[in-house]
Amino acid sequence: MDFAGKSVLVTGASRGIGAAIARAFAAEGAAVTVNYLANADAAAASVAACEAAGGDAVAVQADVTERAQAFSLVEQAVDAFGKVDVLVNNAFRPYRFDPERRKLHWELDWADYQAQFEGAVKSAHSLAQAVLPSMLARAEGSIVNIATDLVARPIVPYHEYTTAKAALIGFSRNLAAELGPMGVRVNTVAPGLVYPTAASAATKESVKDAIIAQTPLRRIAGPEDIVGPVLFLASDWARFMTGQTLYVDGGLVMG
Amino acid sequence: MAERACHLPGLDSAALQWEALHFDGAGRDIAVEVPVLSGADMQAMAAHVRAHTKRYLAQYPVARVVDIIDQAIARLLDRSDPYRRRMEDLLPAITGYDREMLQLGLTEYLKSFRKPELQRFLAEDFPNPALLDDFQPLTKGGYGRAYGPEVLAHIWAGNVPGLPLWSLVSGLLVKAGTIGKVPSAEPMFATWFAQLLAEIEPELADSIAITWWKGGDEEAERALLAEADVALAFGGNEALAAIQSRAPITTRFLAYGHKVSFSLIGREALDAAKASDTARRAAYDVARYDQQGCYSPHTLFVEAGGSAAPRQFAQYLAHELSALEWKFPRRPLAMNEAASIAAWRNAEEMTAGAEVVGAPNGAWSVSFLENADGFGPSALNRSIRVVAVDDLASVPASAAPYKRLLQTVGIAAPPGRLFTLSAALGAVGVTRIAALGDMTAPEAGWHHDGRYNLSDLVRIVEIDGRALAASDRLAPYAE
Repeated sequence: MDFAGKSVLVTGASRGIGAAIARAFAAEGAAVTVNYLANADAAAASVAACEAAGGDAVAVQADVTERAQAFSLVEQAVDAFGKVDVLVNNAFRPYRFDPERRKLHWELDWADYQAQFEGAVKSAHSLAQAVLPSMLARAEGSIVNIATDLVARPIVPYHEYTTAKAALIGFSRNLAAELGPMGVRVNTVAPGLVYPTAASAATKESVKDAIIAQTPLRRIAGPEDIVGPVLFLASDWARFMTGQTLYVDGGLVMG
Repeated sequence: MAERACHLPGLDSAALQWEALHFDGAGRDIAVEVPVLSGADMQAMAAHVRAHTKRYLAQYPVARVVDIIDQAIARLLDRSDPYRRRMEDLLPAITGYDREMLQLGLTEYLKSFRKPELQRFLAEDFPNPALLDDFQPLTKGGYGRAYGPEVLAHIWAGNVPGLPLWSLVSGLLVKAGTIGKVPSAEPMFATWFAQLLAEIEPELADSIAITWWKGGDEEAERALLAEADVALAFGGNEALAAIQSRAPITTRFLAYGHKVSFSLIGREALDAAKASDTARRAAYDVARYDQQGCYSPHTLFVEAGGSAAPRQFAQYLAHELSALEWKFPRRPLAMNEAASIAAWRNAEEMTAGAEVVGAPNGAWSVSFLENADGFGPSALNRSIRVVAVDDLASVPASAAPYKRLLQTVGIAAPPGRLFTLSAALGAVGVTRIAALGDMTAPEAGWHHDGRYNLSDLVRIVEIDGRALAASDRLAPYAE
């Protein structure tokens, strides 16, 4: 896949899945805007990894749940690379995937859901609006949103996180219907448990074993496993796909 | 930053010469300093350990020893404890093993040394563990008491972290003073354990010495063997013979040589619901510590007649090994190790006529053989031979020529066959039968190579049954 000459914006790209996605785009020749919230050192390391992989990269701090900052982020990406061809909405509100300490339904406040909606849907909404002028200027563009396979199979009911990601899938389909006529594609990648990342560090071995036992490909995903489908959906190889959700979980969910 | 290995009671560390061992696992460069001891240093240290052991440890009730070890293990099971953190930090660099495999392995392993497990160790060897504290009635008549050695030498080998703990704990349970020689491949685990015990019970600090010498350094080794009441040594037969030749006849010498292990997989474990799970367990035995343990399988014998044929099982196994390579990547290999895997694959195909499936980079290999009598050396580091057999009952006879080398057999078969096969395997030299997936984690109190861990170390002092009757006549209250 050749992304030479393409400008790619990845949110939450200082660590984990986001950093792996940024690096993979860079390795295919893209100029990558590495968005981060707080960890400037990790973002710098992610930029360095992109450059080492052969692409151009710049780190931009922004809290994408704040509309003004989302617009500023896109503006800085356009300043740096002239346009945005691909937007990957990977950032989410910090969430600790700990099956033993998750909140049960009756312990959740609406504010818990609200926080996750803002992390998943509000940020995607702001950023989609912000990148639209750049994409419409060339009547092409690709937006890839990162959700979770928990939407289809809540093997651990992380209510607020999964509900927000389910909303993100609904958001993506509507956006795909809206923007398709203008040449912009919107798709979703739904990974299974990805280990190791900061969010999944507390997931116990017994939970991983239980998931592995039901996963046809017999292992847990690593961050690198998620990048292929993201690059595919962002690329011209997927030019006739929009509104789709790809499950990347070793076959745990089929659909 | 250089770590310093060993724990040398009675010696002035500042006055000793130290040299550095270098480790480069996990992309790091670690130097570990180890002491260079003369024969005189070793003698002085042994005398110091002996004196302190007689004064403190030998006087402890065994229950107190159990409590102290239990406290140390509780500390090491706590992932926030400074010692545990150092283990998790440094052992991947020292051994090259995957960080997460080590972390999970440590927890699993350390659980074998908590108080209830230590009590099993004791009960296994001493029907009445009070024998270690005081004279107890013997079944034959008379009274007996078990005394551990004042100086017990351990000469460890290999790089599987924590392995020294089996014998170290065994020695402590019989209240022996310890002088352990760490292997150059992993000098830190025993060091940390000794330091931690000294922290928990300062009286023990001078009863445990952890030392090092360059393999083959006769002076230090001779000095230790001359001082020790009992010596335990681990390693290859040649190395053991050399060590034994340097031990005086008055030192009891217990050798644990290299062993090989294998697995038997019955048709009952290969139905449509169980075959891939069976393969997962078998793959775990192969991947854990990259087959470096004596209990790691070299060959899997797979029975025909299940709904998954042996060839299909080999395919499942190959995929499970490939998945485990993602989860717990194999330790990076030295040039010669990588070459020996390539040579093994080649020999399996060309000489033995096997079908070999493997990762292109050699991270794992499965060699499948049909109609063969089976046993063949594995190149280790996740290379495994799968042999199809019509009936598992034929395997023990083919194992018989290797009698002196056999140790663990992993068995997947229903209870009736488990016992029949175990009886046949025991007769040809096997000493441990394990479930698939548990081969590399022996249970607390196991009989290592068929021996008694604790009672092999002690001497029993008997009061002859008639002695009490005779002394009765001399009592002031005698009528």
